[in-house]
Amino acid sequence: MTPQSSPLPKVLAIDDSELIHRLLRVRLQHEQIELHGSMVAVQGLKMARDLQPDVILLDIEMEGMDGFEVLQALKSDVDLQDIPVIFISATASMEDRVRALDLGAVDFVAKPFEVVELKARVRSALRVQHLVKMLAQKAQVDGLTGLWNRTYFDRRLAQEVSESIRHRRSLTLVMCDVDGFKKLNDERGHPFGDMVLERLAKILQSGRGSDIPCRYGGEEFGIILPNTSGSEALEVADRYRRAIELETWPSAAGKVITASFGIADISMLPGTQGVEDLIAAADSALYKAKLNGRNRVEASSINQSTG
Amino acid sequence: MRLTPDDTTLRSEFADDPDMAAIVALFVRELPQRLAAMHGALSGGDLEQVRVLAHQLKGAAGGYGYPKLGEAAALVDHAVKEGQQVNVIRSRVGMLAAVAARIRP
Repeated sequence: MTPQSSPLPKVLAIDDSELIHRLLRVRLQHEQIELHGSMVAVQGLKMARDLQPDVILLDIEMEGMDGFEVLQALKSDVDLQDIPVIFISATASMEDRVRALDLGAVDFVAKPFEVVELKARVRSALRVQHLVKMLAQKAQVDGLTGLWNRTYFDRRLAQEVSESIRHRRSLTLVMCDVDGFKKLNDERGHPFGDMVLERLAKILQSGRGSDIPCRYGGEEFGIILPNTSGSEALEVADRYRRAIELETWPSAAGKVITASFGIADISMLPGTQGVEDLIAAADSALYKAKLNGRNRVEASSINQSTG
Repeated sequence: MRLTPDDTTLRSEFADDPDMAAIVALFVRELPQRLAAMHGALSGGDLEQVRVLAHQLKGAAGGYGYPKLGEAAALVDHAVKEGQQVNVIRSRVGMLAAVAARIRP
Protein backbone atom coordinates (compact mmCIF):
# COMPACT_ATOMS: atom_id res chain seq x y z
CA MET A 1 0.00 0.00 0.00
CA THR A 2 1.30 3.43 -0.87
CA PRO A 3 -0.08 6.93 -0.43
CA GLN A 4 -3.16 7.44 -2.61
CA SER A 5 -5.30 10.31 -3.87
CA SER A 6 -8.77 10.95 -2.45
CA PRO A 7 -12.30 10.62 -3.90
CA LEU A 8 -14.94 13.43 -4.05
CA PRO A 9 -14.59 15.98 -1.25
CA LYS A 10 -17.30 15.77 1.39
CA VAL A 11 -19.30 18.80 2.50
CA LEU A 12 -21.37 18.60 5.68
CA ALA A 13 -24.11 21.17 6.28
CA ILE A 14 -25.39 21.63 9.83
CA ASP A 15 -28.52 23.79 9.89
CA ASP A 16 -31.86 23.34 11.59
CA SER A 17 -33.81 24.56 8.56
CA GLU A 18 -35.12 22.03 6.06
CA LEU A 19 -35.48 24.94 3.60
CA ILE A 20 -31.73 25.53 3.69
CA HIS A 21 -30.88 21.86 3.17
CA ARG A 22 -33.19 21.63 0.14
CA LEU A 23 -31.65 24.76 -1.30
CA LEU A 24 -28.10 23.52 -0.75
CA ARG A 25 -28.90 20.19 -2.38
CA VAL A 26 -30.20 21.91 -5.49
CA ARG A 27 -27.61 24.66 -5.66
CA LEU A 28 -24.59 22.43 -5.04
CA GLN A 29 -25.77 19.46 -7.13
CA HIS A 30 -23.38 20.24 -9.99
CA GLU A 31 -20.35 20.81 -7.78
CA GLN A 32 -17.78 18.01 -7.58
CA ILE A 33 -18.68 17.21 -3.99
CA GLU A 34 -20.63 14.78 -1.85
CA LEU A 35 -23.15 16.77 0.23
CA HIS A 36 -24.31 15.57 3.63
CA GLY A 37 -26.64 17.33 6.04
CA SER A 38 -27.91 17.36 9.56
CA MET A 39 -30.67 19.39 11.17
CA VAL A 40 -29.58 18.79 14.73
CA ALA A 41 -26.28 20.11 16.10
CA VAL A 42 -25.46 17.08 18.24
CA GLN A 43 -26.16 14.70 15.38
CA GLY A 44 -24.13 16.97 13.11
CA LEU A 45 -21.11 16.57 15.37
CA LYS A 46 -21.46 12.81 15.28
CA MET A 47 -21.72 12.89 11.49
CA ALA A 48 -18.57 15.01 11.37
CA ARG A 49 -16.71 12.35 13.35
CA ASP A 50 -17.96 9.53 11.14
CA LEU A 51 -17.54 11.31 7.79
CA GLN A 52 -14.41 13.42 8.35
CA PRO A 53 -15.77 15.99 5.85
CA ASP A 54 -13.52 18.38 3.96
CA VAL A 55 -15.70 21.42 4.72
CA ILE A 56 -18.49 22.09 7.21
CA LEU A 57 -21.23 24.63 6.52
CA LEU A 58 -22.60 25.74 9.84
CA ASP A 59 -25.61 27.78 10.87
CA ILE A 60 -25.37 29.97 13.95
CA GLU A 61 -28.92 30.11 15.25
CA MET A 62 -30.06 26.61 16.03
CA GLU A 63 -32.21 25.36 18.87
CA GLY A 64 -30.33 23.56 21.61
CA MET A 65 -26.66 23.91 20.72
CA ASP A 66 -25.95 27.01 18.66
CA GLY A 67 -23.35 27.32 15.92
CA PHE A 68 -20.71 28.89 18.14
CA GLU A 69 -20.97 25.99 20.59
CA VAL A 70 -20.71 23.52 17.70
CA LEU A 71 -17.63 25.34 16.44
CA GLN A 72 -16.00 25.18 19.84
CA ALA A 73 -16.79 21.46 20.08
CA LEU A 74 -15.22 20.93 16.65
CA LYS A 75 -12.09 22.87 17.51
CA SER A 76 -11.53 21.01 20.76
CA ASP A 77 -11.74 17.61 19.06
CA VAL A 78 -8.31 16.57 17.81
CA ASP A 79 -9.81 14.63 14.89
CA LEU A 80 -12.08 17.46 13.76
CA GLN A 81 -10.20 20.65 14.51
CA ASP A 82 -8.55 20.94 11.11
CA ILE A 83 -11.79 20.79 9.13
CA PRO A 84 -12.53 24.25 7.68
CA VAL A 85 -15.85 25.68 8.87
CA ILE A 86 -17.88 28.21 6.88
CA PHE A 87 -20.63 29.88 8.84
CA ILE A 88 -23.83 30.48 6.90
CA SER A 89 -26.12 32.64 8.92
CA ALA A 90 -28.97 35.09 8.78
CA THR A 91 -27.43 36.81 11.78
CA ALA A 92 -25.23 39.26 9.94
CA SER A 93 -23.85 41.52 12.64
CA MET A 94 -20.19 42.43 12.45
CA GLU A 95 -19.71 41.20 16.03
CA ASP A 96 -21.00 37.77 15.05
CA ARG A 97 -18.72 37.59 12.04
CA VAL A 98 -15.68 38.56 14.09
CA ARG A 99 -16.63 36.13 16.82
CA ALA A 100 -17.04 33.34 14.26
CA LEU A 101 -13.66 34.02 12.71
CA ASP A 102 -11.94 34.36 16.09
CA LEU A 103 -13.39 31.02 17.18
CA GLY A 104 -11.75 29.43 14.17
CA ALA A 105 -14.21 29.59 11.29
CA VAL A 106 -12.47 30.22 7.99
CA ASP A 107 -15.30 32.13 6.36
CA PHE A 108 -18.74 33.60 6.80
CA VAL A 109 -21.58 33.74 4.29
CA ALA A 110 -24.72 35.69 5.13
CA LYS A 111 -28.16 34.25 4.47
CA PRO A 112 -29.96 34.54 2.15
CA PHE A 113 -26.83 33.52 0.32
CA GLU A 114 -25.88 34.40 -3.19
CA VAL A 115 -25.37 31.04 -4.88
CA VAL A 116 -22.34 32.07 -6.88
CA GLU A 117 -20.67 33.45 -3.78
CA LEU A 118 -21.44 30.37 -1.68
CA LYS A 119 -20.02 28.07 -4.36
CA ALA A 120 -16.90 30.21 -4.65
CA ARG A 121 -16.31 30.18 -0.89
CA VAL A 122 -16.89 26.42 -0.66
CA ARG A 123 -14.44 25.82 -3.51
CA SER A 124 -11.91 28.10 -1.88
CA ALA A 125 -12.16 26.24 1.43
CA LEU A 126 -11.84 22.89 -0.40
CA ARG A 127 -8.72 24.09 -2.20
CA VAL A 128 -7.11 25.02 1.08
CA GLN A 129 -8.18 21.75 2.68
CA HIS A 130 -6.69 19.80 -0.22
CA LEU A 131 -3.37 21.55 0.33
CA VAL A 132 -3.53 20.87 4.07
CA LYS A 133 -4.14 17.18 3.41
CA MET A 134 -1.31 16.99 0.90
CA LEU A 135 0.98 18.65 3.39
CA ALA A 136 -0.03 16.23 6.14
CA GLN A 137 0.51 13.33 3.81
CA LYS A 138 3.90 14.61 2.68
CA ALA A 139 4.86 14.84 6.33
CA GLN A 140 4.31 11.09 6.54
CA VAL A 141 6.12 10.11 3.38
CA ASP A 142 9.87 9.59 3.12
CA GLY A 143 11.29 11.99 0.57
CA LEU A 144 13.95 9.68 -0.87
CA THR A 145 12.08 6.43 -1.28
CA GLY A 146 8.42 7.50 -1.45
CA LEU A 147 7.60 4.95 1.25
CA TRP A 148 5.69 5.83 4.40
CA ASN A 149 8.10 7.26 6.94
CA ARG A 150 8.91 6.35 10.53
CA THR A 151 6.19 8.61 11.94
CA TYR A 152 3.57 6.81 9.87
CA PHE A 153 5.10 3.41 10.66
CA ASP A 154 4.87 3.98 14.42
CA ARG A 155 1.26 5.14 14.21
CA ARG A 156 0.15 2.47 11.74
CA LEU A 157 1.81 -0.40 13.60
CA ALA A 158 0.10 0.67 16.82
CA GLN A 159 -3.25 0.66 14.97
CA GLU A 160 -2.63 -2.75 13.42
CA VAL A 161 -1.53 -4.24 16.74
CA SER A 162 -4.68 -3.08 18.48
CA GLU A 163 -6.84 -4.27 15.55
CA SER A 164 -5.08 -7.61 15.62
CA ILE A 165 -5.72 -8.01 19.32
CA ARG A 166 -9.31 -6.79 19.16
CA HIS A 167 -10.38 -8.88 16.18
CA ARG A 168 -7.99 -11.79 16.81
CA ARG A 169 -6.40 -11.31 13.40
CA SER A 170 -2.91 -12.39 12.51
CA LEU A 171 -0.18 -9.81 12.14
CA THR A 172 3.50 -10.15 11.36
CA LEU A 173 6.21 -7.51 11.35
CA VAL A 174 9.22 -7.78 9.06
CA MET A 175 12.34 -5.70 9.73
CA CYS A 176 14.72 -5.49 6.81
CA ASP A 177 18.25 -4.08 6.69
CA VAL A 178 20.63 -3.68 3.74
CA ASP A 179 23.76 -5.79 4.24
CA GLY A 180 27.02 -3.84 4.37
CA PHE A 181 25.39 -0.51 3.64
CA LYS A 182 28.04 1.63 5.32
CA LYS A 183 30.75 -0.12 3.34
CA LEU A 184 28.71 0.44 0.18
CA ASN A 185 28.44 4.17 0.88
CA ASP A 186 32.16 4.42 1.66
CA GLU A 187 33.22 2.52 -1.47
CA ARG A 188 30.74 3.92 -3.96
CA GLY A 189 29.58 7.19 -2.47
CA HIS A 190 26.31 8.30 -0.96
CA PRO A 191 24.48 8.90 -4.24
CA PHE A 192 24.97 5.22 -5.02
CA GLY A 193 23.72 4.30 -1.55
CA ASP A 194 20.65 6.45 -2.08
CA MET A 195 19.99 4.76 -5.39
CA VAL A 196 20.18 1.36 -3.72
CA LEU A 197 17.63 2.44 -1.11
CA GLU A 198 15.31 3.78 -3.82
CA ARG A 199 15.55 0.55 -5.80
CA LEU A 200 14.98 -1.54 -2.67
CA ALA A 201 11.92 0.53 -1.83
CA LYS A 202 10.48 -0.21 -5.28
CA ILE A 203 11.03 -3.91 -4.73
CA LEU A 204 9.30 -3.74 -1.36
CA GLN A 205 6.41 -1.85 -2.94
CA SER A 206 5.94 -4.46 -5.63
CA GLY A 207 4.73 -7.08 -3.19
CA ARG A 208 1.18 -7.79 -2.06
CA GLY A 209 -1.13 -4.78 -1.94
CA SER A 210 -1.90 -5.43 1.71
CA ASP A 211 1.72 -5.21 2.83
CA ILE A 212 2.81 -1.86 4.27
CA PRO A 213 6.50 -1.12 3.64
CA CYS A 214 7.95 1.85 5.51
CA ARG A 215 11.34 3.43 5.82
CA TYR A 216 12.25 2.79 9.43
CA GLY A 217 15.76 4.23 9.61
CA GLY A 218 18.79 5.04 7.46
CA GLU A 219 19.08 1.65 5.80
CA GLU A 220 16.36 -0.17 7.70
CA PHE A 221 12.82 -0.87 6.56
CA GLY A 222 9.78 -2.05 8.50
CA ILE A 223 7.10 -3.95 6.63
CA ILE A 224 3.77 -4.41 8.35
CA LEU A 225 1.89 -7.50 7.19
CA PRO A 226 -1.70 -7.46 8.46
CA ASN A 227 -3.67 -10.71 8.28
CA THR A 228 -0.46 -12.62 7.73
CA SER A 229 0.95 -15.45 9.81
CA GLY A 230 4.62 -15.94 10.57
CA SER A 231 4.93 -18.82 8.09
CA GLU A 232 3.30 -16.82 5.27
CA ALA A 233 5.53 -13.90 6.14
CA LEU A 234 8.61 -16.13 5.83
CA GLU A 235 7.71 -16.75 2.19
CA VAL A 236 6.93 -13.11 1.53
CA ALA A 237 10.18 -11.94 3.09
CA ASP A 238 12.16 -14.55 1.18
CA ARG A 239 10.65 -13.33 -2.09
CA TYR A 240 11.86 -9.82 -1.29
CA ARG A 241 15.26 -11.20 -0.27
CA ARG A 242 15.61 -13.09 -3.52
CA ALA A 243 14.51 -10.13 -5.67
CA ILE A 244 17.11 -7.90 -4.01
CA GLU A 245 19.84 -10.51 -4.42
CA LEU A 246 19.05 -10.86 -8.12
CA GLU A 247 18.88 -7.14 -8.80
CA THR A 248 21.49 -5.74 -11.15
CA TRP A 249 23.06 -2.37 -10.44
CA PRO A 250 24.03 0.27 -13.02
CA SER A 251 27.65 1.41 -12.72
CA ALA A 252 28.39 -1.66 -10.60
CA ALA A 253 28.35 -4.57 -13.01
CA GLY A 254 28.45 -7.93 -11.25
CA LYS A 255 27.92 -6.37 -7.84
CA VAL A 256 25.52 -8.29 -5.64
CA ILE A 257 23.70 -6.41 -2.91
CA THR A 258 21.68 -8.28 -0.32
CA ALA A 259 19.48 -7.60 2.68
CA SER A 260 18.72 -9.44 5.89
CA PHE A 261 15.23 -9.95 7.28
CA GLY A 262 13.85 -10.56 10.76
CA ILE A 263 10.22 -11.46 11.22
CA ALA A 264 7.97 -11.56 14.28
CA ASP A 265 4.44 -12.97 14.36
CA ILE A 266 2.44 -11.26 17.08
CA SER A 267 0.72 -14.50 18.04
CA MET A 268 4.12 -15.98 18.93
CA LEU A 269 4.78 -13.35 21.58
CA PRO A 270 4.02 -14.44 25.14
CA GLY A 271 1.03 -12.86 26.82
CA THR A 272 -0.37 -9.51 25.79
CA GLN A 273 2.57 -7.85 24.17
CA GLY A 274 2.50 -4.51 22.46
CA VAL A 275 4.16 -2.58 19.71
CA GLU A 276 7.59 -2.23 21.31
CA ASP A 277 7.81 -5.96 21.99
CA LEU A 278 6.89 -6.78 18.39
CA ILE A 279 9.55 -4.45 17.06
CA ALA A 280 12.12 -5.80 19.53
CA ALA A 281 11.30 -9.40 18.51
CA ALA A 282 11.60 -8.62 14.79
CA ASP A 283 14.81 -6.71 15.44
CA SER A 284 16.44 -9.54 17.34
CA ALA A 285 15.43 -11.94 14.56
CA LEU A 286 17.08 -9.51 12.12
CA TYR A 287 20.20 -9.51 14.26
CA LYS A 288 20.20 -13.33 14.17
CA ALA A 289 20.01 -13.15 10.37
CA LYS A 290 23.09 -10.90 10.29
CA LEU A 291 25.01 -13.19 12.66
CA ASN A 292 24.09 -16.25 10.61
CA GLY A 293 25.65 -14.92 7.45
CA ARG A 294 23.33 -12.23 6.10
CA ASN A 295 21.17 -12.44 2.98
CA ARG A 296 18.71 -14.52 4.94
CA VAL A 297 15.38 -14.41 6.71
CA GLU A 298 15.15 -15.34 10.37
CA ALA A 299 12.00 -15.67 12.44
CA SER A 300 11.68 -14.95 16.11
CA SER A 301 10.32 -17.85 18.17
CA ILE A 302 9.51 -20.11 15.19
CA ASN A 303 12.02 -22.84 14.45
CA GLN A 304 12.34 -22.03 10.78
CA SER A 305 14.57 -19.82 8.67
CA THR A 306 15.57 -19.61 5.04
CA GLY A 307 18.31 -18.10 2.97
CA MET B 1 -37.60 41.82 -11.98
CA ARG B 2 -40.55 40.46 -13.93
CA LEU B 3 -43.46 42.61 -15.03
CA THR B 4 -46.63 40.58 -15.03
CA PRO B 5 -50.10 41.71 -16.10
CA ASP B 6 -51.25 41.16 -12.50
CA ASP B 7 -48.49 42.99 -10.55
CA THR B 8 -49.78 42.09 -7.14
CA THR B 9 -48.36 38.59 -7.50
CA LEU B 10 -44.77 37.94 -6.53
CA ARG B 11 -43.06 35.31 -8.64
CA SER B 12 -39.77 33.70 -7.81
CA GLU B 13 -36.71 35.32 -9.33
CA PHE B 14 -35.73 31.78 -10.25
CA ALA B 15 -39.04 30.95 -11.94
CA ASP B 16 -37.21 30.15 -15.17
CA ASP B 17 -34.59 27.91 -13.54
CA PRO B 18 -35.58 24.27 -14.09
CA ASP B 19 -33.27 23.12 -11.27
CA MET B 20 -35.21 25.24 -8.80
CA ALA B 21 -38.76 24.47 -9.98
CA ALA B 22 -39.51 21.62 -7.59
CA ILE B 23 -38.20 23.19 -4.41
CA VAL B 24 -39.75 26.59 -5.19
CA ALA B 25 -43.13 24.89 -5.72
CA LEU B 26 -42.71 23.06 -2.41
CA PHE B 27 -41.76 26.31 -0.67
CA VAL B 28 -44.89 28.03 -1.96
CA ARG B 29 -47.10 25.08 -0.97
CA GLU B 30 -45.70 25.10 2.58
CA LEU B 31 -45.86 28.85 3.06
CA PRO B 32 -49.44 28.97 4.39
CA GLN B 33 -48.48 26.40 7.07
CA ARG B 34 -45.53 28.53 8.14
CA LEU B 35 -47.69 31.61 8.44
CA ALA B 36 -50.34 29.63 10.32
CA ALA B 37 -47.70 28.41 12.77
CA MET B 38 -46.53 31.99 13.24
CA HIS B 39 -50.09 33.20 13.91
CA GLY B 40 -50.55 30.31 16.33
CA ALA B 41 -47.41 31.24 18.24
CA LEU B 42 -48.52 34.88 18.29
CA SER B 43 -51.96 34.09 19.74
CA GLY B 44 -50.31 31.77 22.24
CA GLY B 45 -48.04 34.61 23.36
CA ASP B 46 -44.89 32.73 22.30
CA LEU B 47 -42.97 35.64 20.78
CA GLU B 48 -39.71 33.72 20.70
CA GLN B 49 -41.30 31.07 18.49
CA VAL B 50 -42.65 33.84 16.25
CA ARG B 51 -39.10 35.10 15.97
CA VAL B 52 -37.59 31.67 15.25
CA LEU B 53 -40.07 31.11 12.42
CA ALA B 54 -39.50 34.58 11.03
CA HIS B 55 -35.75 34.11 11.28
CA GLN B 56 -35.88 30.92 9.23
CA LEU B 57 -37.96 32.59 6.54
CA LYS B 58 -35.63 35.56 6.54
CA GLY B 59 -32.65 33.29 5.90
CA ALA B 60 -34.27 31.20 3.17
CA ALA B 61 -36.79 33.29 1.24
CA GLY B 62 -34.15 35.17 -0.75
CA GLY B 63 -32.59 31.87 -1.77
CA TYR B 64 -35.92 30.76 -3.21
CA GLY B 65 -36.24 33.99 -5.17
CA TYR B 66 -38.47 36.00 -2.86
CA PRO B 67 -36.34 38.81 -1.41
CA LYS B 68 -39.42 40.91 -0.46
CA LEU B 69 -40.70 38.00 1.64
CA GLY B 70 -37.33 37.71 3.33
CA GLU B 71 -37.29 41.44 4.10
CA ALA B 72 -40.79 41.30 5.61
CA ALA B 73 -39.72 38.33 7.73
CA ALA B 74 -36.61 40.24 8.84
CA LEU B 75 -38.83 43.04 10.14
CA VAL B 76 -40.70 40.55 12.34
CA ASP B 77 -37.42 39.01 13.52
CA HIS B 78 -35.97 42.39 14.45
CA ALA B 79 -39.18 43.59 16.15
CA VAL B 80 -39.09 40.65 18.55
CA LYS B 81 -35.31 40.91 19.04
CA GLU B 82 -35.62 44.61 19.86
CA GLY B 83 -38.35 43.87 22.39
CA GLN B 84 -41.06 45.82 20.62
CA GLN B 85 -44.63 45.85 21.88
CA VAL B 86 -46.90 42.98 20.90
CA ASN B 87 -49.08 45.20 18.70
CA VAL B 88 -46.02 46.24 16.69
CA ILE B 89 -45.03 42.61 16.27
CA ARG B 90 -48.59 41.69 15.33
CA SER B 91 -48.65 44.44 12.74
CA ARG B 92 -45.40 43.22 11.20
CA VAL B 93 -46.65 39.64 11.12
CA GLY B 94 -49.68 41.05 9.32
CA MET B 95 -47.44 42.72 6.73
CA LEU B 96 -45.51 39.48 6.29
CA ALA B 97 -48.77 37.59 5.77
CA ALA B 98 -49.82 40.14 3.16
CA VAL B 99 -46.61 39.61 1.21
CA ALA B 100 -46.92 35.85 1.60
CA ALA B 101 -50.42 35.95 0.14
CA ARG B 102 -48.99 37.35 -3.10
CA ILE B 103 -46.35 34.65 -3.48
CA ARG B 104 -46.57 32.41 -6.55
CA PRO B 105 -44.03 29.85 -7.88
